[in-house]
Amino acid sequence: MSEKVLLIDDEQDFLEVMSERMKNRDIDVTTASSAKDALGLVANESYDAIILDLQMPEMDGLQTLEKLKAINPDLQVILLTGHATVEKGVQAMKLGASDVIEKPADIQVLTEKIKKAHARKIILVEKETEAKIRSILGSKAW
Amino acid sequence: MNDLHDDADTLGLHFFGSMTASISHELKNALAIINENGGLLGDLALLMERGRPLEPERLKTLSGNIRRQVQRADDIIRRLNRFAHSAQEPAATSDVREIFEFTIALAARLATMKGVTMTVAPGSPVQLETRLFQLENLLWLFLKHLFALTEGNQTVEFAVTEAGAEVVIGLRFGEGLPVEEIGARVMREGQSLLTASQAELQVDASLLRLKIPKKGAF
Repeated sequence: MSEKVLLIDDEQDFLEVMSERMKNRDIDVTTASSAKDALGLVANESYDAIILDLQMPEMDGLQTLEKLKAINPDLQVILLTGHATVEKGVQAMKLGASDVIEKPADIQVLTEKIKKAHARKIILVEKETEAKIRSILGSKAW
Repeated sequence: MNDLHDDADTLGLHFFGSMTASISHELKNALAIINENGGLLGDLALLMERGRPLEPERLKTLSGNIRRQVQRADDIIRRLNRFAHSAQEPAATSDVREIFEFTIALAARLATMKGVTMTVAPGSPVQLETRLFQLENLLWLFLKHLFALTEGNQTVEFAVTEAGAEVVIGLRFGEGLPVEEIGARVMREGQSLLTASQAELQVDASLLRLKIPKKGAF
């Protein structure tokens, strides 16, 4: 099953080339060049992983991460950054990022992290489904 | 006097750090695009080996993308080189508008992040004898506090005029900015630079005016 990914970066050239490389690896990728566009997409679509640039105009990556998590706390967000400061990395993980990768990224590493994020999402969905079933079973007088 | 020198040195280090961090981020972005275009060439070669046809136009496009990003990275490195040398240069006579243009180019990425548009008012050259790095640092302080206080969609115009033995640098801000607060912060943080340059800072509604002697500043 191909992973469904949302790639967010304000560099249009980067979006084009990275999305083509992901498609070559059977990843179903959608792109957004601003946080605003990305938030609109996430509100209406489900993604296995979100690749998010840390530094963007208007709303930076950490603010965007907070808003994404507010829409869906289970979202698997991988931050892509040119500034790999420890402080920012820790801040990102505290806000719920799954991973932080430094630019230029190795596509193999990124693809593996997307697969791991997909697997984590499946586990979360399974747990959620199990909890729902338990709740239904517990509330019914059989 | 030593304290003022120490303060100016510390300010200079902060300025140098902010600019080089921003420049390194810009370079990383260019490198990331070059990296992915190179990677895509490898992907296409592999796909061609497996029988997928490859149009020459596709290669031309990718090669053009790489050349454009190399040019971008080269521009960034040239700017970094000029900036690094400005820290070593003794006082010299320079055109203030050229210094504006260079400071704007240095801060351009940070301004884009904050939604600030920076322009220079047209006019004939105005010469000032100054240490480039110190004046760039002073101008950066205004931008730094503007970036900290703006909520986006702002403008700042740099202008310069001559007034006898002084040059008057004007920074005109867009509506809605706490210009007095920007001025107060620059006066507090940049006291050593203002003293060293014998500059006088005035706040006038949306305009900050900096009067600096034409000779012997910094």
